[in-house]
Amino acid sequence: MEAGKPPTFDVITLELMWSRLISIAQEQARALVHASFTSAIGEMEDMASGLYDNHGNIIAQGVTGSQGVLIGLTRGIKNMLDKYPPERLEPGDVLISNDPWMFSGHKFDISIAIPVFFNGRFVGMTGTISHGADIGGIKSAGDSEEVYDEGLEIPILKYYKAGKPNEDIHEMIRSNVRMPHLVMGDLMAQVAACDVGARKLVAFMKEYGLTSIEELSKAVMGRTEAAIKKAIRDMPDGTWSQRVQMDGIDEPLSVKATMTVQGEDMEIDFTGTSPQTERGGINGTKTYTDAYVYHAVKTTLVPDVPNNEGLFHSVRITAPEGCLVNATFPAPVMSRYMLISFIASAVFGCLAQALPGRVIAECGVSQMQLLSGRTRTGERFVYWLMGVGGMGARPGLDGYHATAFPSNVGNVSVEIIENVSPVHVVSKRLVTDSGGAGKWRGGCDQEITITVDSQYPATINCFWERTTVDAAGYHGGKSGRRAVVKVNGRDVHPKRKSELKPGDKLIYSSCGGGGLFPPETRDPEAVLEDVLEGYVSLEAARRDYRVAIDLANKAVDFEETAALRKNRGSGG
Amino acid sequence: MVIVFPDPLVPRRLRKEVTERLDPQGNVLIPLDPADVELAVEELKGEGIEAIAVCLLHSFRNPKHERAVADIIRRRAPEISVSLSVDVIPQIREYERATTTIINAYTQPLLRDYIGRIEESLVQAGYTGKLYLMLSNGGIALRETAEHFPVRVLESGPAAGVIAAAFFGDLIDEGHLLSFDMGGTTAKAGIVRDGHPVTTIDFEVARMQRFKAGSGFPVKLPAIDLIEIGAGGGSIARIDSMGLLKVGPGSAGASPGPVCYGLGGTEPTVTDADLLLGHLNPDYFLGGDMALDVPGAQRVLEEKIAAPLGVDPVRGAWGIHQVVDENMANAARVHCIERGEDPSRLLLVAFGGAGPVHAYWVAEKLGIKRILYPIGAGAASALGFLTAPFSFDFVRTAIGRLDELDYGLINGLLEEMEEEGRSLLHQADVPDEDITIRRFAEMRYVGQAHEIYVPLPGEPLNATSGEQLRDAFDKAYEQLLHRTNVGYPVEALNWRLEAVAGRPPLRLQPVPQQPGQTLEDARRPSRLAYFPEYGEPVTCPVFDRYRLFEGADFKGPAIIEERESTVVMGPNSHAKVDAYLNLLVTRES
Repeated sequence: MEAGKPPTFDVITLELMWSRLISIAQEQARALVHASFTSAIGEMEDMASGLYDNHGNIIAQGVTGSQGVLIGLTRGIKNMLDKYPPERLEPGDVLISNDPWMFSGHKFDISIAIPVFFNGRFVGMTGTISHGADIGGIKSAGDSEEVYDEGLEIPILKYYKAGKPNEDIHEMIRSNVRMPHLVMGDLMAQVAACDVGARKLVAFMKEYGLTSIEELSKAVMGRTEAAIKKAIRDMPDGTWSQRVQMDGIDEPLSVKATMTVQGEDMEIDFTGTSPQTERGGINGTKTYTDAYVYHAVKTTLVPDVPNNEGLFHSVRITAPEGCLVNATFPAPVMSRYMLISFIASAVFGCLAQALPGRVIAECGVSQMQLLSGRTRTGERFVYWLMGVGGMGARPGLDGYHATAFPSNVGNVSVEIIENVSPVHVVSKRLVTDSGGAGKWRGGCDQEITITVDSQYPATINCFWERTTVDAAGYHGGKSGRRAVVKVNGRDVHPKRKSELKPGDKLIYSSCGGGGLFPPETRDPEAVLEDVLEGYVSLEAARRDYRVAIDLANKAVDFEETAALRKNRGSGG
Repeated sequence: MVIVFPDPLVPRRLRKEVTERLDPQGNVLIPLDPADVELAVEELKGEGIEAIAVCLLHSFRNPKHERAVADIIRRRAPEISVSLSVDVIPQIREYERATTTIINAYTQPLLRDYIGRIEESLVQAGYTGKLYLMLSNGGIALRETAEHFPVRVLESGPAAGVIAAAFFGDLIDEGHLLSFDMGGTTAKAGIVRDGHPVTTIDFEVARMQRFKAGSGFPVKLPAIDLIEIGAGGGSIARIDSMGLLKVGPGSAGASPGPVCYGLGGTEPTVTDADLLLGHLNPDYFLGGDMALDVPGAQRVLEEKIAAPLGVDPVRGAWGIHQVVDENMANAARVHCIERGEDPSRLLLVAFGGAGPVHAYWVAEKLGIKRILYPIGAGAASALGFLTAPFSFDFVRTAIGRLDELDYGLINGLLEEMEEEGRSLLHQADVPDEDITIRRFAEMRYVGQAHEIYVPLPGEPLNATSGEQLRDAFDKAYEQLLHRTNVGYPVEALNWRLEAVAGRPPLRLQPVPQQPGQTLEDARRPSRLAYFPEYGEPVTCPVFDRYRLFEGADFKGPAIIEERESTVVMGPNSHAKVDAYLNLLVTRES
């Protein structure tokens, strides 16, 4: 590198430059959302966009998108630069990969990155990652025994070389996926979006007279790190552990986190977590686990700071090789999204002990199961049924109904479902008393009942969690109601295939959120409102919240409530 | 984790289900049970409700059940106003259709009262003409139409600003512009393309986090497409947890307002910074009606911004200016790019109390060369109302691939909408020959989540229209995203039609140069003002806007004061005054 004088900028200029970079990353993200072909990107925004310096450190990220996959992309960019160091890159190159261990944990997420050159010198990268429509392989996660079952692996390769498409790779991908025009279209959208970012980054450097963004990147990371270190210093020192149970595939599993805080150092270790599973693909790669640990720490301690190396330097994450949250190749990983809620719950559980009252209770999960069969005219169809649980109670706020956290899938319109598939939605309703009782109540779960409008039988590939373990409340708050999958009123195995004969009713719900603090401390007027709205039953108001309600007058019976709550106080 | 959504407008206990069901094609699966509806109406009457919104699944395919529900409500409770989703917004997606219909029902009694009061005072004032209301899409409509569809009036105020910008642009034959309205708490930017404000069907009301998409209720009706930014004269500057200078979205508003108002404000704001930079005149704020407290502003700025950052107060003040300009420029840039416009090719039209103070630097950041400052910066929106045309728009859903659609059916839908549009405009005494019909389809590649607006040809569609529409789609797509995916199938979802009358003629009074009048007559005392090019405050000429005249021109830096606002132009620019005292500033770079 030439020995240029490092650019000097004051703190105000730093803010101006940084917010411009964030804006560029956002432009890149919006370009992708608009040009994308699949609803995973377009409607659920299961994508991310970032700008990187010449060492692959992230310097700015788009506001739009998912933080989880962003961190996968960010780890992956460094892996790309390891394989293709700057001297092996030239203007017009485009890199591609979906390696679950190097990026975001499963093959559906494809990363695309473009090296950026300014005055002939490599100055950084722009990158996007998004969940593709298909990647080949088996359809149901329950059938996956190793990552080879899960479709096409794209190692880190040049998708374009010096501005020219690498046709062999294009053809290889096109012939390995089920919906090639959607997959290829999304990849094209990613390339176009990265290109927008790259052009804007160069224009930005020209405008500010920069020859490198390295110093700027250091300043950004330094400030992030300082803010996080300060937040950690403000916590008490100590060690806390939390074990969270899951249904598992064929037997129960658990995620255990141990958090140690000493001065400005935080370490989170997953020793004690179940070994990786042989079947079902719910294993997490380390990059994926890291993403949701950082997410939990960041949202609790420093919600306003960005995800960058400064954050990664401040929190050390370790996990034994071969465990559920640090699976080793070739473990099946395609449904690792199932782990999000449990990794987050384990870390939030530690944080809740260290910082009582500042942390969200456990949440219901976002779930998906695959319905397949034939339409009335005999055409094959597949349709993903989504379930969204209730959000855990938050400090000072109730959890939202049918809103999962941290990962959330949207509620899909019934009219859209019925227009694009033979699914007939019989009912869709919030489940009374499914939200964990507490001073702050967990969100209620949503129950959906469907039939398939066809004379042919259909198959439901169940892949449902939290059917045996509920989302816990904290500090005396109760847990939410467990998830349910039934056919014609009978429980079916939540991780296996079941048949749906014409007219059979499939009912599914995904678990209510946990509550915070004892329910008998909830404002009786809030309990009355919950009863009137149908979120809490009259019986539960009395039993859990110790509130007597005069339904005829729509009023709290304060005298009786006082008596109920007093008895509770003396009776324990 | 602390995202907050608005409480539902209709509590769950006031939402009633009735027995009925249509299939996705609109066929009746379960007939409507009138007894169920009657029971629901009785229960709602008992709750003392004033308005009912009706939204049934797939009703946009077949309005029969919704209409039957309306009949029963009118029979049982004629005093209750009813909004049907098939009338308000007959298009797919039940949640968005329901919220739009609910907001219509919710605002109906309010708007009716409001219009009643206006009418009363107009009659008292001796007005005998008709009463018209501005709509969010930038058109105007008869009061009766507005009363039926109050949800269409929601965003009319900000829309008027963009209409005004289009009007002023037209005066200098410029149809491609960016309207920039910066007030006390927010700034709004909107694009005008070929003289027409760009509209959107993705807008939200009652956002809890005002600048966060998704935190409000979606309203799926055309509205002028504005980006609202938490940046205004009252925006508060602060140092964040990373030691960086941030401005907004928190605002001191008008009360207590900026520190310099002397009304109890304690946080440094954009206006305080503008004052310290010499850009505002402490003795001529609101024409001199409000004296500004310079030492107070200086003290707070020093203590809360300059000292923590380790810079002098002028650098701190300029920092606030730069950060707020950057925020606005970034938001406006993303807004433009998402709509396929390169901001640097647009004319910036600046108004609102703080718009003319900041526009020069927003233009600089966007690479915009020319800025138009209309006279009467504070009253531009009101002028917009006077220049808006009659217009109404309609939508129908008919989903299908372009190569498989039944164009006979689509023609039927378009004709139906056109007939409705013409009849509404006839009611407002617009003759047929003054009506322009514009037709659009929302199309996308099959499987894509976002639709784009594609203009349709004027003549009826036929079996060969598929290819023609495909070409139009490719063209629109390319403008937006600079590429196409030829070969992928395209589908249409919604069909839209606008019926628009001509723009009402409005003439401004020219202000010609008086004999012997010179620029010197418009001079006010010069003052020290900061421009970064000089590194320190310099003596800057100041002009009285009202004493300028047609043809006057001068170079920057200069400050031009009018009652409601102040134009600040930097060095390397020159200004030219037109016959109406509008100021066109060109930046040279």
